[in-house]
Order: sequence, then C-alpha cells, then structure tokens
Amino acid sequence: MNQRTVLPGSEKVRELGISGRKFSIPLPLLPFFIFVGYFLAWPITKVFIASLKSNDNKWTLSNYGPLLHGVYLHSFIVSIKIGLITALLGSIFGGLFAFVIDSYAGPRLTSVLDSISAVFANSGGVPLAFTFLASFGANAGLIKLLKRWGWDLYAEGFSIFSFTGICLVYIFFQAPLMVLVFKPALKGLRKEWREASTSLGGSNAMYLRKIAIPILFPSFVGSFLLLFAGGFSAFATASALTVGNVPLIPLVIGNLINGNVISNKTHLGASLAIGAIVIAFFAMSGYVWAQRKSTQWRK
Amino acid sequence: MKINLTKYSLVGIATLLALIIFVVPYSASIEYSLRGDFGKGHNLTNYYWFIHQDGFLSHLSLSLELGLLAGILNLLLMVPTATMLHLSLQRYKPIVDFICILPLMIPVVSLAVGAEYSMPSFIQNSQFELVFFFVILALPFTFRVLDSALSAVPLKTLVEASRSLGASWPSTIIRVVLPAARGGISSAFFLSFALGIGEYTMTSLLHWETFTTWTVVISQQNLLGSIALSTFSFLFAVALLVVIAIATSRRKIRKNSEIQLVEETV
Repeated sequence: MNQRTVLPGSEKVRELGISGRKFSIPLPLLPFFIFVGYFLAWPITKVFIASLKSNDNKWTLSNYGPLLHGVYLHSFIVSIKIGLITALLGSIFGGLFAFVIDSYAGPRLTSVLDSISAVFANSGGVPLAFTFLASFGANAGLIKLLKRWGWDLYAEGFSIFSFTGICLVYIFFQAPLMVLVFKPALKGLRKEWREASTSLGGSNAMYLRKIAIPILFPSFVGSFLLLFAGGFSAFATASALTVGNVPLIPLVIGNLINGNVISNKTHLGASLAIGAIVIAFFAMSGYVWAQRKSTQWRK
Repeated sequence: MKINLTKYSLVGIATLLALIIFVVPYSASIEYSLRGDFGKGHNLTNYYWFIHQDGFLSHLSLSLELGLLAGILNLLLMVPTATMLHLSLQRYKPIVDFICILPLMIPVVSLAVGAEYSMPSFIQNSQFELVFFFVILALPFTFRVLDSALSAVPLKTLVEASRSLGASWPSTIIRVVLPAARGGISSAFFLSFALGIGEYTMTSLLHWETFTTWTVVISQQNLLGSIALSTFSFLFAVALLVVIAIATSRRKIRKNSEIQLVEETV
C-alpha cells in the first residue's frame, strides 16, 4: 500500500472521496458508481417501491397476492419449466460441443468456432425467431421434405407457437452459450492429472469418476444455472414470434407494463418484475458460487 | 486404436448434432429467404424488397449510431474504472465485479419496467436513453474482457516506469495503458456495439423503433422479406466476427503472452 502515493488519484482519495466510516468510494471510481447507481440501482429500487404501492399510492402487499395463485403463478411455472428444460438440453449439447472443440480442434479452428458460438449465443433475438419460422414453419423446406418422407410433423400437432416450439428455438442460443461458458472449465483440466491417475494405475473410467467429473461438476452446475436464468428471462425471441398462447412471464410483464391488457395493473407488473428478479437472482447466485468453487482449480 | 475410435465417434456425433441443430436451420432460412413470389423459383426478390423499404436506411443508421455511442460510452466509463482497479484500488475489485454481474441477474424486462418508472421525462423522451441502458446491459461482458486484458500485462510496472521517466498522466494513459490493453479495449467496444445493434427487449418495451424492432414491424407486411432481412443481419454478424477472430488469432499465435488473455475473455 505504500506505492499508493505514486498512483493516479490516490492523493485525492482522502481529500475528495465520499467517505463513510467503513466504506468509502474513491474519486476515480465515482463515475462508475454514479452511472450504475442511476441507471441500474435506481430503476430497480423504483420498481420495488411501485410493487409495494396500491393504485391510490398507499403502501400495500396486495400486489404480491396474484403471484401466489392463478394465471400469474402459472406463467411463472411455465417460464421456470422452459428455463429448466432448455438449460438442461442446452448444457448437454453445448457441453458435448465444448468437449469436442477443446479436445480435438486446432487453435485457428477453435477461435473461429468460438466466435461462431458467440454469434449464435447472442442471436437469441429477432433474427433467431425469423430463422426459426423459416426452418420449422409449416411452409419450410425441411418440414416439407420430412412430409414427403412420410413424417408430417404438423399433422402430429407440432407447432412453433407452442411450449415445445419455444423449447426447440431456445436451444439454438442455449447450446452455443454453454460452449462459451463451459469451455474455460475444460481448459482447466490439466494433462498432468490424467497422467498421474494413469501412472498410479487408474483406468479411464476411474479418472472420469474420481477426477474429471468432481472437478467439472461445479462449473457444469454453474453454467446450467446461467443458462436457466437466460432461458427464464428471455423476451425477444418469444415476443417476435408473438407467442400469445404460451404465457411466459417476461411477455406477461411486458404486456402489463405497456397497458396492453388492463391499464391500472402496472403495479402488478412491478411486483411480477420483482418476482422475476428474485428467481433469476437465486439462479445467478448459484452460478457465482459455482464459479468461485471451480476457479480454485485453475490457479 | 481404441482411443482413436472414441475420438472419431465423438467428433462424428458432435459434428452431426451441430449440423442438425445449426447448419440445417440456417441454410433452410437462407433457402426460404430466396424464394420468389408465390413460391416460384429462387431469386433475390425479398432482398430487393427490404432494401427498398422506406425505413431501411434510417433504422439501420439509427441502430449503428446507438451501437457506436454505446461502445464509446462504455469505453469512457469502463477503461478508466478497470485501469484504476488494477493500479491502486484493487480492494474495490470484488464490489465492481459483483455490480458488473448484476445485469445478468436482473431480467431485462424488469430493468425496462424500472426505466419507465424512474427516468425523468427529458431522458425518456430521447432515443439516446437507450444508449445508457445498452451500456448497463453490456457491463458483464465488457468488464470481464477489459479486466482480463489488463491482468495479462504488468500494468503497474509499466505505469510506474512511464511516470518515473517523466511522462505526464495523460501521455502515460494514451501511450502506455491504451496500447497495452488494445485487444481488450477493441473487444469491449465490439461487444457493446454488437449488443446495441441487436438489442430488442429494452428497445421495444421503451417504445423505440430501431433496426431490430423495425424488422418485427415489417414482418407483418412481408414475412419473406423479414426472413431475408434476418438472414442478412445474421450472415453479416457471422462474417464480421469470423474476420475479427481470424485477425486476432493470427496475432495470438505470434504473441504467446496473449493466448491466456483470449482464453479468459470467454
């Protein structure tokens, strides 16, 4: 700490920083804290306050009542289910891709595949929705081809505007996202551990069971939770597909806030938004915990 | 022999899966977007259609502008912050780390609701409102990229050397810090730029019309045109990122020290 006087701003810290007894924000970090405070903390605080107010501006808990039963509880359950199913499939497929890329691809191919994964992982939006319509819609070439071969998906009740359809479309960004978040963990597995295990007489299965899986497990769970939070709160794709008959919680909140349904229900929108934050927050806390657990091997 | 067999079957299964869930749908969508009127033949009709739409250029340029501003604002805010965290204020890093992961914890829909409740009308009445929120949404990615770029170089030593050789603070920042973190800074910029161009949730909930929301609006007139438009923007993004990846990986191979940097950014 004795170098501090040499470094920028540190002299000013004591003079100008906002200081409390235990916590002080040094001057150079003020812009960041002000920005995040105003554009992140303040909006969320306002939603929280709004969720505790009634239409005539009195404090109340009644906005949280509808979350516990009926249609709104049902949308939470549907969104949680979508999150779980797509995170599970996405992490299995993505985990396999990550493993194959990590083990067998050269550096150039790896970096190309990485950026393709990045594009796909972030394409979970409007373009994805239209791509999906083009590939699985009733008029899509693929669907027609399958029909010619005797497998008429639509006759079997398949629809892209259904729960199954949403699950299918979300995998397109969940699996690449898994590649992005899980690959660093695979990189952390050291060759020496495998060699040590083999030279001590361990079989492949034993290496997997006693070393690889225990080490990778926290990262896998963490990545799963990240994918869950993403799938749970995804809005763009579903909204662009105008999936009215699958009551996803982000769509429900969006409708309430835009006053598309009943205009005096915006306070309910606020309490639903807080509910969504609580669920995503729990999942992401698990992710942060798992991340911490898994990086201890990478030092 | 046995190992080779597992290797080939694993690679085979993964390639097949990747083909089924990625290549097939995207090529299907390219095929679809090339269909002519009334399903006759294949041509570029749908591409001509969206290029000649009234809003095409204006919405595209608005999106590019917002993305550009988001990228710049992000760098202005985060480069000094990340630099300071590496120089003298390391003890604040856990707090900043935590704050920067919050946008992933808070569903965008909820933040949009909050924006409607909290922003004063002079901000809500301007489309540049979106820039601030794009910067927030990009924080988890940009901070990590900048942080690992700065960790990969001995920043403290470089800065002290520059200062003791008599360079002023501004010249130290421009001639030492920025070049040292060049890779991280450019990826941070591109990440927030890309996020700004493709953002939909915040934009539509705050009732703004950018390129992405416009795509949805015109899909009601011409679905094939919208599919063509999506295919166009998707291919554009892939091409851009692959070019960037190849360009940076060439540098990586030359400079061994940068390999770790890129590994940690993801």
